[in-house]
Amino acid sequence: MLLIRCPYCEAERPEVEFAYAGEAHIARPADPSVLSDDEWRDFLFIRTNPRGRHFERWRHMHGCGRFFNAVRDTVTDKFSMTYKAGAPRPSDEEIALASSAADSAASVKDARP
Amino acid sequence: MSNFRIAGKGRVNRSRQLRFTFDGVDYNGFEGDTLASALLANGVHLVGRSFKYHRPRGILTAGSEEPNALVGSNRGNGRFEPNTRATVLEVFEGLKTESQNRWPSLTRDIGAVNDALYMLFSAGFYYKTFMWPKSFWDKVYEPVIRNAAGLGKAPTAPDPDTYASRFAHCDVLVVGGGAAGLAAALEAGRSGASVILCDEQSELGGSLLSEPSAEINGQLAWDWLEDTNAALAAMPNVTVLPRTTAIGYYHQNFVGLCQRLTDHLRIVPDGAPRERMWKVRAKQVVLAQGAIEKPLVFAGNDRPGVMLAGAARTYLNRYGVKVGNRVVAVTSHDSAWHAAFDLAKAGVEVAAIVDVRGTVPTQLVAAADALRIRTLIGWTVTGTKGRLRVSSVRVNPVGAGGKVGGAETIACDALLMSGGWTPSIHLFSHTQGSLTWNEDGQMFLPGRGKEECRLAGAGKGRFSLKAAFEDGAAAGAAAAADAGSGAGFGAEPASYHVEGELSFTGVTGRELPTDLDPGHAKAFVDFQNDVMAKDIRLAVREGFKSIEHIKRYTTNGMATDQGKTSNINGLAVASDALKRPIPAVGLTTFRPPYTPTSFGTFAGYNKGALFEVTRKTPIDGWAEENGAVFEPVSLWRRAWYFPQVGEDMHAAVARECKAVRSSLGIFDASTLGKIEIVGPDAAEFMNRMYTNAWTKLAPGRCRYGLLLGEDGFIRDDGVIGRLAQDRFHVTTTTGGAARVLGMMEDYIQTEWPDLKVWLTSTTEQWSVIALQGPNARKLIEPFVEGIDLSEGAFPHMAVATGKICGVPTRLFRVSFTGELGFEINVPARYGRAVWEKLFEAGQRFGITPYGTETMHVLRAEKGYIIVGQDTDGTLTPDDAGLSWAVGKTKPDFVGKRSLSRPDMLAANRKQLVGLLTSDPKTVLEEGAQIVLDPNQPVPMDMVGHVTSSYWSAELGRSIAFAVIQGGRSLQGKTVHVPMPDKVHSATIAGMVFVDPENKRLSA
Amino acid sequence: MLLANHPLLGKTITGDTASKLTIRAADDVARFSLRIDPAAIQAAGAAFGMPLPTRIGGMVEAGGRMALQLGPDEWVLTAPVAESDGIADAFAALGETHSLVDIGHREVGILVEGEAAALALRSAIAFDVEAMAVGTGCRTLFDKAQIVLIREDTNRFRIEVWRSFADHVWGILHAVSREIALGL
Ligand SMILES: [Zn+2]
Repeated sequence: MLLIRCPYCEAERPEVEFAYAGEAHIARPADPSVLSDDEWRDFLFIRTNPRGRHFERWRHMHGCGRFFNAVRDTVTDKFSMTYKAGAPRPSDEEIALASSAADSAASVKDARP
Repeated sequence: MSNFRIAGKGRVNRSRQLRFTFDGVDYNGFEGDTLASALLANGVHLVGRSFKYHRPRGILTAGSEEPNALVGSNRGNGRFEPNTRATVLEVFEGLKTESQNRWPSLTRDIGAVNDALYMLFSAGFYYKTFMWPKSFWDKVYEPVIRNAAGLGKAPTAPDPDTYASRFAHCDVLVVGGGAAGLAAALEAGRSGASVILCDEQSELGGSLLSEPSAEINGQLAWDWLEDTNAALAAMPNVTVLPRTTAIGYYHQNFVGLCQRLTDHLRIVPDGAPRERMWKVRAKQVVLAQGAIEKPLVFAGNDRPGVMLAGAARTYLNRYGVKVGNRVVAVTSHDSAWHAAFDLAKAGVEVAAIVDVRGTVPTQLVAAADALRIRTLIGWTVTGTKGRLRVSSVRVNPVGAGGKVGGAETIACDALLMSGGWTPSIHLFSHTQGSLTWNEDGQMFLPGRGKEECRLAGAGKGRFSLKAAFEDGAAAGAAAAADAGSGAGFGAEPASYHVEGELSFTGVTGRELPTDLDPGHAKAFVDFQNDVMAKDIRLAVREGFKSIEHIKRYTTNGMATDQGKTSNINGLAVASDALKRPIPAVGLTTFRPPYTPTSFGTFAGYNKGALFEVTRKTPIDGWAEENGAVFEPVSLWRRAWYFPQVGEDMHAAVARECKAVRSSLGIFDASTLGKIEIVGPDAAEFMNRMYTNAWTKLAPGRCRYGLLLGEDGFIRDDGVIGRLAQDRFHVTTTTGGAARVLGMMEDYIQTEWPDLKVWLTSTTEQWSVIALQGPNARKLIEPFVEGIDLSEGAFPHMAVATGKICGVPTRLFRVSFTGELGFEINVPARYGRAVWEKLFEAGQRFGITPYGTETMHVLRAEKGYIIVGQDTDGTLTPDDAGLSWAVGKTKPDFVGKRSLSRPDMLAANRKQLVGLLTSDPKTVLEEGAQIVLDPNQPVPMDMVGHVTSSYWSAELGRSIAFAVIQGGRSLQGKTVHVPMPDKVHSATIAGMVFVDPENKRLSA
Repeated sequence: MLLANHPLLGKTITGDTASKLTIRAADDVARFSLRIDPAAIQAAGAAFGMPLPTRIGGMVEAGGRMALQLGPDEWVLTAPVAESDGIADAFAALGETHSLVDIGHREVGILVEGEAAALALRSAIAFDVEAMAVGTGCRTLFDKAQIVLIREDTNRFRIEVWRSFADHVWGILHAVSREIALGL
């Protein structure tokens, strides 16, 4: 079970309190009626599904109840950072900074004898 | 009965004798014995038959890595477990055990014919043998194989035990309570860190329990152990968990521990759980799991009486049991020499030590000479004899250039073997930590970790006691320092002085050299899955190159022991056959759980009544007392129907339906989802979420609401009342309540955060009593205060607040039956009392409680759909005949844009229609497929299916709904429903079967 | 008034000693869910009669009333049952935009008290209960049931749970209290 940092509670909480909610930064068009069928299809169904860094939504369902965004690696399952809903997509530098802060708090041990 | 117990040796409690049985024979053991040590003390080596060849098998190890000695254990009162490892099963008074995989008996097993046919059962034999004819697989091969193969028999009765679980958070988790783990726990504990120390055995100590003569800081090992146990017990910040196996290591230092609480007890207290799953989140983890001894690979290495040398030493020193009267040791490693020495000193005749190495440390040879033990340096073992127990071993000298000389036979009743030691890196592997091959030690060692984890001691290749202690102490101190910054953390770790170290050098190899045909040698690598060295070589010859493929083809390492004793040997053989170095061949992945773990432990409290939440309404108790039959609806249990004496479901439902249509029915609708939507933008929010228009809905009025997903398909529906300009009382389907609330929250929070509106779940705030039938108003009128119930003031689809029976109510004039009806919402704690009061007063109208089945029939007669039954996530409002509920002039709502996508407008979409069978008595099966032409060839063109189907007592015939391609344009047409017994025909009709003019709603 | 009823009415579990672990159904209280822009929190506090907590997890207690912040704009308010109407009236007069919803009957309170209280809760709660600060509360999961957990004192917790989930929570606490009484 992962620990996930809720940006509203400002705390790491157990994964069971959270629900996954799909890819992030896909805003509902302000006026869907002006979209072509293809554009609307893309909004509905087309997702990036990357191997590696993924911007995604989570909800602190059994906690504060808020939806928020996260940067997670789909290979390692590691969260680089989480941020509030509505905040812009973080830059590479911001992500690197956040994950190095997380790494130094949890430095990897060399288990070599 | 032979007695192999040695006076003055071991840690078992000789003052507590215990009786147990094995295959119906009574034996004695002592408190502190495992089944294996107790059987060996009675001279019993033969404990089972092997998986594939049914070869007699004995006890190979003294620990949880045991591949052979699996038994059925019966703890009484229906507590039976197959495949229990005899080496970890603690004996208690009255324990009953039995051997497995034999018939009719362990000594005469008919399945042993497989052993003679062993050439047929080589690697991949399933794939090769049972290919044809195809029809034989189900009827012949699989039943025969299932019968013949497999080990223990699964218990047939439900598990009577209960299980527990517990979360724990700590600074340092130490896995393994041997020298390294104890030192680590002591350091971490002294620093003030919160520490959990777990060990899979019944007592702490690890190898120290088998090492009584070692001296640690001037104390004998067992004295040091006693003091250390006391020191740890005195630290309130240290939790010691014996009989607790770390079974899995997951992300962010989350480790699962299985604690065995009562298996070792003769009498289990009532309510005591058998096992507990600990879910530990540790800031730092120290893995000190020690090392596992490797068998040597030679012909006949699986015969009962052949066992690992270290195990023999443990049985002697820890349990006071000699494993034989005349033993031979064969080894490629120093440690077996020490086992032979200890046995010799205890009075056992050691006939020879055979060492396959060309040279061995001189002090070992000198010590052997002093004990008058014959040493055969540079010799090999090429076979063993003995039907149910080893009786002799065949040994040969190996000359220069590897030429194997003439054989000599040495009589023995036990053969000790050692192929060196493998660090136990399983948990480290669970974390996907990298492994590096150590050529000197012929072992994989932990490389870079991915978690906050350290390894210590033999688990990291540091085999001497001093190294293990000091490594553990350093790891414990560093882990505590990394875990916290408070005072007391980060002190200098203790140093250890150890006397009586064993020497620990050796080599590892493939099969021992032999003068016989290796193609016929029954030299086992994986004892549990009966994989021989020649199987692995065959796999390589047949073209398998990856160890992952070789593993699956031969099944090496795929048994319940996950190859703890076989992986490295299998790898060495494969590497030799492939002519590639071991690291290039690779290692298969270890996966949780580390040792076999009962299902109960994973289930924890979630069995029986606690298997899943069973939600009950405030009125559930009344329904139960009044004979309701229940059905599950999502997590709820709901009254399905209320049979009277002698009634079946059909009769009860017909009676209930008739009562509602003719007078008065009462129904518990409390499970309906309810959401209170409050705020100045409440109506705007409703406009955006639901298909309907809400702006003009006046306070005090209700409207049917239809909710789509953004894809345009129906998600939910319900009646929604406007209580005030800024307050709506929304109802949802029973199963959809949480989903709808979550979906609404999503839109409010992430798409329209500017809207001033809030949502609160009120599902359980209100008990809902539906009163339906022409006498509904007459019944409630005298109980209602503050609401004018007259038709003009409170018409169909009205809502008002007031009081009923003296308690507050939100009264809805709504109907899901087509009759005059009310849904009375009262605060939940008064639900039952109001129900009872109305039920009592309703007697004069013949008030009839009805359940969900009658509710379904009545609504179907009126053409009302149930989302999730008549819809399946692929129906648009138009498909369901609900276009009237879509606000055409609204600029936008969730799902609107999708309704004009080309596929959504296609003429041949499946549409919901009514269906009347040609034979009015036929009630179609829900889910039955519909075809237009019943005479077409199979597979037929299926144009739809039945979604709802009932007997209508009101109409005296069956009614049904179905989704059918272009169904609405086929009104009056006949369709066909092919069923196994016959093909039914039916006519497509409208969906409203009763009172299409809605006269009864306002009757 | 009619007879009130809830799943745990009058129930108690006492461990081997009451000081170690006692679990009982709490007395009924009035409960409201308050949703309001945090910028308007002072006015809301004035309506409730005491300042409301201003960070998620924060709890304030005074005069038999309690306020706990569960989310950025969400508070749960409790008070003696008799004060329910007064609180509703006070908020009805509040000028600030907000939502106040009566949830008094939605939930059931369970008190878990004694030296082993935190230990008992650890059986089914995934976050670090031992590290939870006294005077705080949060929504979380107890096994499969969503609850609100409040740490009233070092050895006293209050669980608030939707009434239809209360039996499940109670059943697990019952099993757990038996383990603890047995010293297992
Ligand atoms: Zn949160």
